[in-house]
Amino acid sequence: MNALLHGAVYGAVIVTVLLTITALGLWFERKFAGRMQSRLGPTMVGPIGLLQPVADVLKLLQKEDIVPRDADRPLFDLAPLLSAMLALAVAAVVPFSPKAIASDLDVGVLWVLAIGGLTVIPTFMAGWASNNKFALLGGMRAIAQSVSYGVPLVLAALVPVILTGSLSVSGIALWQTHHHWIVVWPVVPGLPAFVLFFLAMLAESNRIPFDIPEAESELVAGVTTEYTGMKFTLFYMAEYVHTLVGSAVAAALFFGGWDGPFHPGLVWMVAKTLLLFVSVYWVRWSLLRLRSDQLLALCWKWLTPIGIALVLFAAAWVEFVPGEL
Amino acid sequence: MTEFPKDAAPIVPVDRHVSLARRLKAMGYRQFVYVVASHHPAKKTATERFEVAYALRTVGKGSELASWRVALEPGQAVPTLSRIFAGADWQEREQWDLVGVRFDGHPDLRRIMLPADWTSHPLRKDFPADAACPPWR
Amino acid sequence: MMIQPELELEDEHDADLMLLHFGPQHPSTHGVFRMDLLLDGEIIVKATPYLGYLHRAVEKLCERLAYVQITPIVDKNDYVAPMTNEQALVMGFEKLLAVEVPRRARWMRMIFAELQRLASHLLWLGTFTLDLGGALGGGSTLFLHCFRERELILDLFEEVTGARFHYNTHTIGGNRHDLPAGFAAKVKAALDTIETRIPEYEALSVDNSIFVARTKGVGVLTGDLALELGITGPVLRASGVDHDLRRDAPYHAYDEIEVRVPVEHEGDCLARAKVRFAEMRESIRIVRDAIDGVPEGPINGFKPVRQPTQVKATSGQVYVAIETPRGELGTFVIAGSDPATSPHRLKIRPPSLHALSALPYILPGVTVSDAVAILGSLDPIMGEVDR
Repeated sequence: MNALLHGAVYGAVIVTVLLTITALGLWFERKFAGRMQSRLGPTMVGPIGLLQPVADVLKLLQKEDIVPRDADRPLFDLAPLLSAMLALAVAAVVPFSPKAIASDLDVGVLWVLAIGGLTVIPTFMAGWASNNKFALLGGMRAIAQSVSYGVPLVLAALVPVILTGSLSVSGIALWQTHHHWIVVWPVVPGLPAFVLFFLAMLAESNRIPFDIPEAESELVAGVTTEYTGMKFTLFYMAEYVHTLVGSAVAAALFFGGWDGPFHPGLVWMVAKTLLLFVSVYWVRWSLLRLRSDQLLALCWKWLTPIGIALVLFAAAWVEFVPGEL
Repeated sequence: MTEFPKDAAPIVPVDRHVSLARRLKAMGYRQFVYVVASHHPAKKTATERFEVAYALRTVGKGSELASWRVALEPGQAVPTLSRIFAGADWQEREQWDLVGVRFDGHPDLRRIMLPADWTSHPLRKDFPADAACPPWR
Repeated sequence: MMIQPELELEDEHDADLMLLHFGPQHPSTHGVFRMDLLLDGEIIVKATPYLGYLHRAVEKLCERLAYVQITPIVDKNDYVAPMTNEQALVMGFEKLLAVEVPRRARWMRMIFAELQRLASHLLWLGTFTLDLGGALGGGSTLFLHCFRERELILDLFEEVTGARFHYNTHTIGGNRHDLPAGFAAKVKAALDTIETRIPEYEALSVDNSIFVARTKGVGVLTGDLALELGITGPVLRASGVDHDLRRDAPYHAYDEIEVRVPVEHEGDCLARAKVRFAEMRESIRIVRDAIDGVPEGPINGFKPVRQPTQVKATSGQVYVAIETPRGELGTFVIAGSDPATSPHRLKIRPPSLHALSALPYILPGVTVSDAVAILGSLDPIMGEVDR
């Protein structure tokens, strides 16, 4: 009972904070992208455009909810809800500070990978239920991409698990506060594993350069073509939250979570998460998009073999280097 | 740029123009430039006729244009050049669409600019430029 | 409108193929343009382009207008390079009316044409990376940077003509607006800025491995097919055919300067991008060399008229072509006799129409993503395709 209440309270707080950071992140991204493109970004709504996300949400809320006539209603309506819920559910095991964690599962990493892998289902539901060929193409590409990139994601997440001997996300973060950050030492499985995790996380959340399921220039809006109003908001927000939570998980697994040189705690976790979040959309606004077969080739020909090699290296490290584990 | 040749291109008989095009292509005029059909309505000095002008070009330094015309009676068709030059395909479709000159042997002579159920040929002189057209749905 | 059913599904195997209407409302079709794609999964089996969505009956309209009234109309054909549109038109009328253009006007026209080529290629680069990278991503970064540079050129044109777009600065016999004082210095300042930015664009595009992966080997067009189809311009030169009207059939003042023509041989989208980059550099060089050597003199050799109906041509048929950023734009005019103040038949030979006619030949066998890249690399402007 206590755990349930603890989870509910912390969960509500974390969800609220995540959504607030999403809104602020929207504003920051637009300013950041604007400056990269030699323009200003939002300036009109509120001081330096800070109320722009509020204006966007209000605009999207009051839009007419158009549903195509032959769309599969239950799936069509459920897809955005499920997408948002799954993205938020991953945040349950992220340790924001030694005490602030919604649900300290012993198998936190498994939870992250499993729920993160489920997010392809609402994407394909949207693609199929829209009764739209562009959405269908987007959905098919999403399945291929998500299923393929699940493999490097798992392999990359296995490296901290092997090095620390714990499947719990907070346990891995704790280990790193006592020893050293995994991305720093051992450098060889640590840093490449982080890069692999980062790339796989980009692919799982459909961010450029892996955003072919919603490739705007080819498929109009991909899986979200037929969505309007609140449902579109949920999809959009779900993608953001997915990226944010993925950054938080990466910060916890590789960068030591709440660890810091002085006053370890919430601040460091938030700082690391935001740093990774910013680099996600730095990449987004700089790079072009890979074609779907090139994307899959990258995954299977490069990332997966490298991931397997990293896992083997980590296992060898743990076995033969004295003093570890 | 001081000489201004204004004589129209020579008129070639209808049955000879495909072999002329083939010979020109063999001579080096490999680039297809244009097909232009025009409608000349009946006047005091001439009967109604259609004219189709063609041009080919050589590539590289000293590029030259070879152009000729074919004169047609109303309703007469001219053999297509699309077997020799693939670019004649769409150009002839456009001239059929707008002027109404038929091209014999064209693989797919249908309208290209106007909707498929349009009934007249607008660039003819008997189609007034300020005609009231039904709204296009 | 009746949908033409030429994509019939004949036998049972065709039931596995999916018919996708690509356009006319689509973020990447470069204007209103429709293609019906028959897809096997993601591979295109057959592509049928449909034109005519932007058909505005320009040629019929010009049969009612006097010769001097037609110039603003053709501005709107290739709306990305209006200077070259006007030049092709007035050169056709000058040949018909036997009007000599003074040397100063020819030099000015050449400089305008090259600046227009630079501006048009900058726009092409921006929209091409938009196609490849999406409006919400890396493509739009390069797009906005290219537009920032293009604004410098449009500011130069505004100095001369008063309009940023659709200038109506060319008339029969010469130009309407003369170069203002200090123009050469402003041009050189703008070109210096653009020249420093072109390596940045190359770093984000032709030197970027994702761009190369998307464009190398994609949409190969052989030189022979391109010649047969009547394709000209950078697309033809990227397929290995060394042909450029500026050098091979010179007009304006191109016979007085040297024009170096870039040629690539692979014929894929990457080759077309490289040719356009080389042409940008070449245009900068030509304008730099020419802007100081503009001869003095009058800018118009035609006696000014009070009424448009005073300009008459009684007989003749001419065809004049120039090299626009997209290829050979030609004007075919038959002089009218009734009334003699309007052409009997005016046809604009648009280069983009011929470029689009390559689509049914090169699209089968590529994926939908590649189709977008190929369409972008052909650089069609639907205004001049449909007229």
